[in-house]
Parts: sequence; C-alpha cells; structure tokens
Amino acid sequence: MELRKLSKLINIRLPKTLDGDELNRIFAVLERRHPTGEDPWGLNLKKSRESVKIGYPIYKHYFKTRVIGAHKVQDRPYMVVSNHSGQIAIDGMLITAAFILDIWPPRILRSMVERFVMTLPFFGSFVAANGAVLGDRSNCEHLLNREESILVFPEGVRGVSKSTNEFYKLQNFTQGFFRLCLKTKTDILPIATVGAEEFYPFVYQARGLARKLGLPALPLTPFFPTLGVLGIVPLPSPVDIIIGDPYPIPQDLSPDAPDKLINEHVYRIESIIRDLITQGRAHRRKFWGTYLLPSVKGPYGPH
Amino acid sequence: MALTNVNSILIIGMAGGLAKITAGLLLKTYPEATIVGIDSRESDQFLKDGRIKYQRMKYTRSNFEKLFRNNKFDAVLHLGRISHTQANPRAHLAERLDLNVMGTNRILELSLHFEVKKVIILSTYHVYGAYADNPIFLKEDSILRASLNHPELRDVVEMDQLASNWMWKYQHQIETLILRPCSIVGPQIRNAMAQYLVTKYVPVPMDYNPMLQLIHEYDMASVLVHALKYIPTGIYNVATDESMSVHEIKNYMNIPYIPVPVFLLEQLAKVINRTFWSVPDYLIDYLKYPCILSNTELKKHLPPNFFKFSTREILNLIKQD
Repeated sequence: MELRKLSKLINIRLPKTLDGDELNRIFAVLERRHPTGEDPWGLNLKKSRESVKIGYPIYKHYFKTRVIGAHKVQDRPYMVVSNHSGQIAIDGMLITAAFILDIWPPRILRSMVERFVMTLPFFGSFVAANGAVLGDRSNCEHLLNREESILVFPEGVRGVSKSTNEFYKLQNFTQGFFRLCLKTKTDILPIATVGAEEFYPFVYQARGLARKLGLPALPLTPFFPTLGVLGIVPLPSPVDIIIGDPYPIPQDLSPDAPDKLINEHVYRIESIIRDLITQGRAHRRKFWGTYLLPSVKGPYGPH
Repeated sequence: MALTNVNSILIIGMAGGLAKITAGLLLKTYPEATIVGIDSRESDQFLKDGRIKYQRMKYTRSNFEKLFRNNKFDAVLHLGRISHTQANPRAHLAERLDLNVMGTNRILELSLHFEVKKVIILSTYHVYGAYADNPIFLKEDSILRASLNHPELRDVVEMDQLASNWMWKYQHQIETLILRPCSIVGPQIRNAMAQYLVTKYVPVPMDYNPMLQLIHEYDMASVLVHALKYIPTGIYNVATDESMSVHEIKNYMNIPYIPVPVFLLEQLAKVINRTFWSVPDYLIDYLKYPCILSNTELKKHLPPNFFKFSTREILNLIKQD
C-alpha cells in the first residue's frame, strides 16, 4: 500500500495488480479442491494466495505471459510435460501461475523439483507451499491418484542449464513420466515455453566447476556472479506458453513394457513439443534483449 | 496361535500415559481380563484398580521371568521403550541400547518360551528419519535411516529391526505386531514433540516448515486395543489421514514462538540442551524435513472412521490443557 501511495506522489504508474474479486473467485475454486488449506506435501493455500497476489505483476507485466491454447485444457488430471529453459526454474513458476490465472477452472500444478531445491532454506518451503513436490515416483503416483495435475520437465537439469549455443535445443526425455502415466492412466498435456531462454542471453555453463562444488548446474553470465544477487535478475523477456492437444495414454501398453515400446511414445511427445517450440518461436514477441542475442544457428533456426 | 480369548495381559511401561489409557480401554473391552503392568517408574492412584496388578521392576532383571512363569499371559504389550529426551537425562546410549534392544529381545524370548499368543511392540516413526528426499507417505518397507544423521537413535532403529526379524522368524508360533506411530499427543502424554508444541516461546524454524502428523493418545490406545484381536502379524505405521505444518500448528494454537533460522536453532540447541531445552537434537530434523507416514496398511484392518480426533481437535485439547 505504501508503495502505491509513493507511486502516486511521484507520479509513476505501478503495474496493475490482480483484482480482489478475481482472486477470490480463483481461490474459491482452489479451496474446494483443497478444503483444509494444506496438504501432506506442504501446499499452503494462504501462502499461495499471497504468492499469486505478489507474483501477478511479474507474470503479467514483467514477463507479459501469454497462454495459447488454454481452451484445450479440461477439468481433469494431466501429466503436464514441458520443455525446460531459463537457467533457474522461472518457467515452472510461470506455467504454474498460468494454470491458476489463465486457465479455468484453476488448479495448482504440482511441479516436480530436485531434492537439492527442498534442502534450501526459505526457498524449499516457499516452493512447497506453492505446490512443488520432491520429484519422486511415489509422490507422483499419490498425487495423480488424488486427481491432481503434475508438471514435469523430462529433460531434467540438462534442459534448464543450457549454454547460449544450446538454447531451444530440446534434450532427450527420460521415460519415467510416461511409465507413471501408464500406471495411473493419466493423459499427457504437452506444452512449450518460449521466451525463457532469453532471461539470460549470454550463458556459459561451468559444468566441471558445478560438479566440484556439488551443484546441479552453475550458469555464468556477464552479470553473475560479478553483480552477486542482482546478477540473477532475469531480463523481461516476454513468455509464451503454448498448450498442445492432450496426448491420450495408450490403454493396451503396460507400465513395465520394454524401453523400445515406451520410447516410441516418448519420441512422439518430444516431437510434439519441438513443433510447439517452433510455432512459438515463429510468433515470438521481441524485446530490447532480443537484439543482444548472438545469432546462434541451431537445428531449429537462428534465435 | 491366533488370539481368541483375552484373559491375561502384560503391559510393559505401565507408568506411561499411553499405557494407562490403553489399560483402561482394555478392561472396558475385556472386563474379565486381568492386567499385569510393570515399569521402573513410580505408579499413581489410577493403577490401583483391582484388575490391574502393578509391579515396579526393570524388565531386564531376573524376577521379570518369574512374571511369565506365574501368569499365563495371552498378550504382551511392550510400550516401555526408553526415549531419548531430556526427561531421561541418565538414559545414555549404552543404557538405552541395553534396555531397548537387549530388553526387547528378552521380552520376545520369554513370550515365545511361555507361549504368549500375541506381542505388540510400540516403535516410533523416528526410525525412518526426517530427510529432504523422503517421499510423502513412507511405507512400512521404507529404509530405516534415522541413525544415519543421528547415531544416538541407533537403539530405536535396532529395537525395531530386532523385532521385525523376530516377527518373521517366528510368525507361525507367535503373532507379533510392530506399530510405528506418528507423534502421539494428548493431555497425558509428555513426549518431546508434544511438549515442543505446547511450550511458549520455543524457537521455531523460520526457513523450513515441514508437515507433521499427530495422533491423539486415545486414538493410539484404541489402535493398540483393536490390534490385540483384529490386526494380524506385521509392521504398521499408525497415523491419521491429516497433516499440518509446524507454522500452522503454532498459529492455530495461538502460542507465541520465536522464529529463528535452522542453523541458529541447531547451535542454540547444542548450547542450552542440557539446561533448559527439552527437545533432543534429532527432533530438529523433524522440524526441518518431512517424515509423513502412509497408513494404508493399517487402514485395511480398521473399521471406517476409526480415529475420533482430528488434528485441530487434538490441538484444541492440548491447548486447553
């Protein structure tokens, strides 16, 4: 509130916040889904309401997030499968926010995170309160059986931690997510996030040093670690979340089927997401940071 | 060797709050039964019920065997695990290993020798350990990792494992049940977690907020009584379907607390543990990372809506207390 008063005083317009009625409408639905306000994985509706309130201007005005294909999402559980990009998992937060703010009825996506994240003070409990859970097979299974939707990045750390010359190159998917879908009979919702790679346009992944320090990745940028915490502020690259058609899970395939049979489907899902990325990049909104990007020629065209 | 008639029951750890409630419920369910209760601690008035014979003794002593010889026990409830808390300052690891591991072994051997039909051992959820990579809903076959970070919990893990090995080895001669309950809370329970929850101005981690499962002492006692006849040999987690975060519990109870970062809490505990603190070092892990139990196995043997107290009701009760 003080910030608003100050902004009026010095005549600077602050980004529009989420309308209180709209927030109530969204959380009325979420409260029906999670009547106790908490769940065993640490979800906390009070805290996630605060996060949505604070995060809205960042989602809507800083990253100017657009959701394309929201009408394809039905009110049922999905395994949401996305490409991973942007060095830190901001893409995961934006996708989670999209499922609360731009898709009706809203639901809190349970994103799978690395064990490392859960050990971090403050951040671990913050992401858990907002729906993230430890990426563990039994966690996934329990959540899907409870009709929750899950967000997975089958590229894993390899996907999020790419150097500039690897931007938008989809890494090979692991199979675990597909076997789980078969076991729980959950359909897959393929999505692509475009724009997150440009959060940090020049990145060199110091993989050797990261291994020595016991870190999953160590991105070096012109501003990080030179400017410290300030160096991790992402550029305001507009983000598009493109939702594909749900991929129905084959009913006749066993979760213990040989790799060959599973891979057929996994490759198909990879290819769907690759196509969504290409579509998204074709309609990519430019921002001043785009012009800083080196023209890297990858298999899917220059940036 | 299934238990059909319950005439004589031995309860070890009789001076504890849970044992007293269980004894009361047992006598209500089996009015003809007699209970022999033993403990190394003093007893109080409640135990002077005609059907309860209380004896102050250590179950490692030779007169313990006499008990088995002179009474034909149908069932033995071992609720006498010595916990690792400030409440037992003299209970060092060696002593706890002796009582909890060697003592449990003795109880099991005597039970087998004197043809007891059912033995119920009360273990704890602490055996699993609280870790960041714990899946939510730990099943009974999860690895017992408590002593990896806290060697002082070795006795708890060894006691549980000893009982498990025993259970499978003699499953055709004696029914053995191992119960691993979540935090038991109630007006008569004075364990470390229960005290931590009701005490004002305790430091609470501000940077972590794991979920906790609580079970009311009456519900736990009901599980023990029900287990006597209706739950077969096996290991069972005991927990309700609910869970609540540490911060939410403190806020709900409206108890003032001091938020501190965990690294400070760990150092603080080391410094003041011997004088004011009633929370053992290992419990800090449970205030940092989750250790949530799956109750699926147990629920297969319980009637629907078995648990009477919700988490909020439990907290209201201990708040009023």
